Amino acid sequence: MATVSKAAGVDPRTRYQSPPSRRRRRRGRGGRSPLSALSPRVWLPTVIAVALVGAAWSWVASGNPYILPELGEVGRTLVSDPTLFVENAWSTLQIALLGVAWGAGTAFVLALLMSEIPVLRRAVMPLAVVLNVTPVVALAPALVVAFGFGMTPKVVVTAIVTFFPVLINVTTGLRSVSGPVLHVFRTLHASRMEVLLKLRLPTSLPYALAALRVVLPLSIVGAVVAEFVAAGSSSGLGTMIRNAAANAQLPHVYAAVACLATMGVLMLALTTLLERRLLFWHESQQRNPS
Amino acid sequence: MSRERIEVRGLTKTYEGGDPHRPTLDRIDLDVPRGHFVSLIGPSGCGKSTLIRVVAGLEDYDEGSVRIFDSTPRQMCAAKAVGFVPQSPALLPWLNVRRNITLPARVNRRSGKGSENPDALLRMVGLDDAARKYPHELSGGMRQRVAIARAFGTRPDLLLMDEPFSALDEFTREALQWHLLGLWERMSTTVLFVTHSVREAVTLSDEIVVMSARPGRVHEVIPVDLRRPRGDEVTGPRGRALEDRVRASLRGAWESGAAPDDLIPL
Repeated sequence: MATVSKAAGVDPRTRYQSPPSRRRRRRGRGGRSPLSALSPRVWLPTVIAVALVGAAWSWVASGNPYILPELGEVGRTLVSDPTLFVENAWSTLQIALLGVAWGAGTAFVLALLMSEIPVLRRAVMPLAVVLNVTPVVALAPALVVAFGFGMTPKVVVTAIVTFFPVLINVTTGLRSVSGPVLHVFRTLHASRMEVLLKLRLPTSLPYALAALRVVLPLSIVGAVVAEFVAAGSSSGLGTMIRNAAANAQLPHVYAAVACLATMGVLMLALTTLLERRLLFWHESQQRNPS
Repeated sequence: MSRERIEVRGLTKTYEGGDPHRPTLDRIDLDVPRGHFVSLIGPSGCGKSTLIRVVAGLEDYDEGSVRIFDSTPRQMCAAKAVGFVPQSPALLPWLNVRRNITLPARVNRRSGKGSENPDALLRMVGLDDAARKYPHELSGGMRQRVAIARAFGTRPDLLLMDEPFSALDEFTREALQWHLLGLWERMSTTVLFVTHSVREAVTLSDEIVVMSARPGRVHEVIPVDLRRPRGDEVTGPRGRALEDRVRASLRGAWESGAAPDDLIPL
């Protein structure tokens, strides 16, 4: 067996530059320490901003109770009948999640098909754009006529709202495979299915999760708008807000809004968790040296 | 036709929209015996990378023929007999080093081609302690070593390398050259290697194909008659004389069409 002599008597293995030492210390898969959230540099600015907004709110509410209710009153409304808020929040959440499942799911499958069948992309994309620019609120009454007064028209509205961002992002992600990697796959004579499963899908994951970051909170907006405009709604935070506003019950309105905001934050947190778990390899999850 | 050589005959290719009177590749004739290490060198735009991609079956051509050990490029790829190392490491960032190296074994299983032991490959490129690391945890040189190990993973009959070390510093590049030679001598693979570095071509090759640009043609084929395994002779008087000869040939190639703006000064 032939061996390779080493130029100038130096073992090449000893001559590599080592990767930066900070890279050696992996801080979990996300590359960030979970304890970093405890640092005042992380939480203090948020706490100060919330305190300032709270103070401004209280100042406005103390002189103008018909513009903003007292925060304490909003809190008491929430505590006085938590079941009411939980049940209505659950109703809205169901619509939002079902809407995301249908909207994002359909968009994902369609994006997969479009990445493999160019003629389908040319056929569907203009229709998707038209659907995206159409005000969904205007469609809601027609959807009620079509699907009745139950949950279906609200889920459809939410699905339409969430459909387009997922379609666009996943389509872009599936097509953003780097040329050299594709060349490696082609010289290995990988099948289209292998390229799709082993290359295009993982490449599109950051794009899909970025879309999810947009559409999960958007699904709540979609669900609430659907509850506003769909006649015959009897549950959900959107319905609750509409009825409370009609009766000038501002604490109830803002308590419901607080519930919606909390749901939105929790959905964002869930997306962030998913991103850290699934995209530990992606540059968006690497530690920023600055 | 021969089962023991790569034969390129009258290969002509013009890109869509290109000037048909100045094809990217113009009647290229090339013979590469099995097991040889052949470097392609020449100014930018002379068609080195295009030639590599045509031989890899990644691009079509207008005229001529390409036979690799009496098979077409497509047949070679279907048999997983071609390894490809592009300029960037082209690793899959969601897979660790070991999974990246074993990727060729997991695609195109119908070829029935076996694969090298990944642990042995890792040892050969000095990355046995980095098997579970991910590409973002590696330096540029380490990533390129993984790409080379991956390309050798199916013990290919032909390895095509398109400027694989061009993005690396000279120190790392030199070390990688020795790793590559070590793997090549062990695997007896035929290598077509695109480079812009005269010294790199002399260090690695059995033959250096000097190409000229606009249109892309083979200007000269220079045999490198240095002993293997390569050692101090590469940097000695014979190695330097060969470098001078390659540079003189490149000057001739430039005069026939291109500027030397892409050559690494050594």
